[in-house]
Amino acid sequence: MSQINRREFIKLAAAASSASLLSIPAIARAGAKAKVVVIGGGYAGATAAKYVKLGDANIDVTLIEPNKIYTSCPLSNEVISGHRDIKTLEIGYDGLKKRGINVVHDLVTGVDRAKKTVTTQGGKTFAYDALVVSPGIDFHYTGIEGYNESMINDIPHAYKAGPQTLLLKKQLEAMPDGGKFVIVVPKGPFRCPPGPYERASLVANYFQHHGKKKSKVIILDSNDSHSKKGLFNQAWAKMYGWEKEGLGTNSMIEWVKGAEGGVVNKLDAKTKTVSSDFVDVKADVLNIIPPHKAGKIAADAGLTGAEGNNFEKGWCKVEPMTMASAADPNIYVVGDSCVAGEMPLYGNPNAAFDMPKSAHIAMTQAKVAAAAIVAKVNGKAVPQPYYANTCYSVVGDDYGISVAHLYRVENGTFKYIKEGSGVSMMTLPDKSPVPPAYRKLEAEYAVGWLRNVMADAFS
Amino acid sequence: MQKALLLSALASGLLLASSAHAELNVAGLANTCNNCHGTGGVSVGESMPSIAGLPEGYLKSIMMEWKTGKRPSANMTRLISGYTDEEIAALATHYSKLPWVPVKQKTDPKLVKIGKKVTEKCAGCHGDTGKSDDADTPSLHGQWSQYLQLEALKYRDDAFNMPNKQMVKAAKKLSDEEIKAVAEFYASQNK
Repeated sequence: MSQINRREFIKLAAAASSASLLSIPAIARAGAKAKVVVIGGGYAGATAAKYVKLGDANIDVTLIEPNKIYTSCPLSNEVISGHRDIKTLEIGYDGLKKRGINVVHDLVTGVDRAKKTVTTQGGKTFAYDALVVSPGIDFHYTGIEGYNESMINDIPHAYKAGPQTLLLKKQLEAMPDGGKFVIVVPKGPFRCPPGPYERASLVANYFQHHGKKKSKVIILDSNDSHSKKGLFNQAWAKMYGWEKEGLGTNSMIEWVKGAEGGVVNKLDAKTKTVSSDFVDVKADVLNIIPPHKAGKIAADAGLTGAEGNNFEKGWCKVEPMTMASAADPNIYVVGDSCVAGEMPLYGNPNAAFDMPKSAHIAMTQAKVAAAAIVAKVNGKAVPQPYYANTCYSVVGDDYGISVAHLYRVENGTFKYIKEGSGVSMMTLPDKSPVPPAYRKLEAEYAVGWLRNVMADAFS
Repeated sequence: MQKALLLSALASGLLLASSAHAELNVAGLANTCNNCHGTGGVSVGESMPSIAGLPEGYLKSIMMEWKTGKRPSANMTRLISGYTDEEIAALATHYSKLPWVPVKQKTDPKLVKIGKKVTEKCAGCHGDTGKSDDADTPSLHGQWSQYLQLEALKYRDDAFNMPNKQMVKAAKKLSDEEIKAVAEFYASQNK
């Protein structure tokens, strides 16, 4: 303000205050309630709806979600391995309804950004002052010759929890001893970065407990490294005979990296044989996780990037302070469909860090968006945002590992806080082995975490 | 140019906090904790402690101990190390001002009875029922039984090298059943 004298400042402030009234008339107008519409009722969408209502009970909040029951993807690998009943992952929307949120079970088919309305398959139209877009992910069923969407009832992805999870479980149970359970991992970014490796661990654990010790899990990975790699390898060595990367080892789990033949580009569906430029693997159970993109409605609404950074293609770029879409200040994109920061390339030490696509971070994004919306409706300053992640992987009996991430916003950009981030210890500070109690605690914390995130989002 | 910038910042109705002097937003900070510790710091997960209503001194000291490496933890040491001392102090104040909500949970009456007897030794610091008036002693009445058992495991295992030696000594004197009984007793005091 040093360059502006007092008189000028008063003039500016007066102009600004009237301008600010003009800029948000639809929201702040006396009498009319501000309307917030949320598309998608996963962890992110449910949290956004709840926290807008918690922040300002006078805001009219509508959540539009096709399914009446949500099934948590986190810990759904435990369903596949028989450690958990899928019912423990299911939750409805009564908690949100009790909070006065209007829950509509319908599919949003259109967003009119000029008119600020959304329309649904059921023929309804909802006006919004602020729109939260949280549709999660969709799959690209392209890139593997011989593979298409119609095959998922035979070759499940099990990367959206529900019937797909149960199908993969059934196939695992029916698999003969000595069989091969093959997991095809797409190029990142994908949701739940440690998910495929946790799955491999729990499938191996299933083999051990169900008389299938001659069986193998083979991970064909399009990437050259992966989340919590050191910790997974350590756990696999301890429990599943892990030796080294590549095929032909004595390990129950084998991992083939992208550079060494992990990039699957061909499928013979009849024999469940997947091929890369280097290897052919015939599977008994085949689990192809297709590459991801933001949910369809995000692309249809014009919120996804098509150019620039390769990793923003198909994803929604957001403003760090508020989670508002870079394409539209009245729309907030939270959860798996956004790209917050630059996507990491595992194995590339120079890569910048992006937020991983986890339920936990989706919820902190949703809380930031909710706070920004409440502030905007009430003409207040944007509160300082904080983003955090905690992601547990259960990799064996009484054996859990985790990664934490913390992000701040500095100078308008996301900043990864290294001091507040990191994976579980590989060794104690004195280099001695980590006592089993640490791993047991994290396995128990994973369950407590699940109960709390489900309740914090949906109750 | 500066005028235009100022005008546009004001006119947008959004006064963005400048990063150099980012205002501490304790409610936003606490939101990151509540994912695991429950909405408003009241946990519904058996292995996760409720933190709402714990004494300010206790909350601040455990967070600072995690940050400075004095108190081992399977996970909290990592996240807390990213928070400033001011943020830790603000979080401690924030949660201490919220009401303590004892959790209603099923407990084993037989163990509760044993626990009542065993905890006579603990009453000096923790009060008869785990309700403590001391600023540095956590409330235990109505805390989750499983969480209390997991904490006891840390006190009894030398690998954790827990800083409170009095607790280490006390916890090591107890049998497995007594540990469970103590946890069940405090958990049952949910009033």
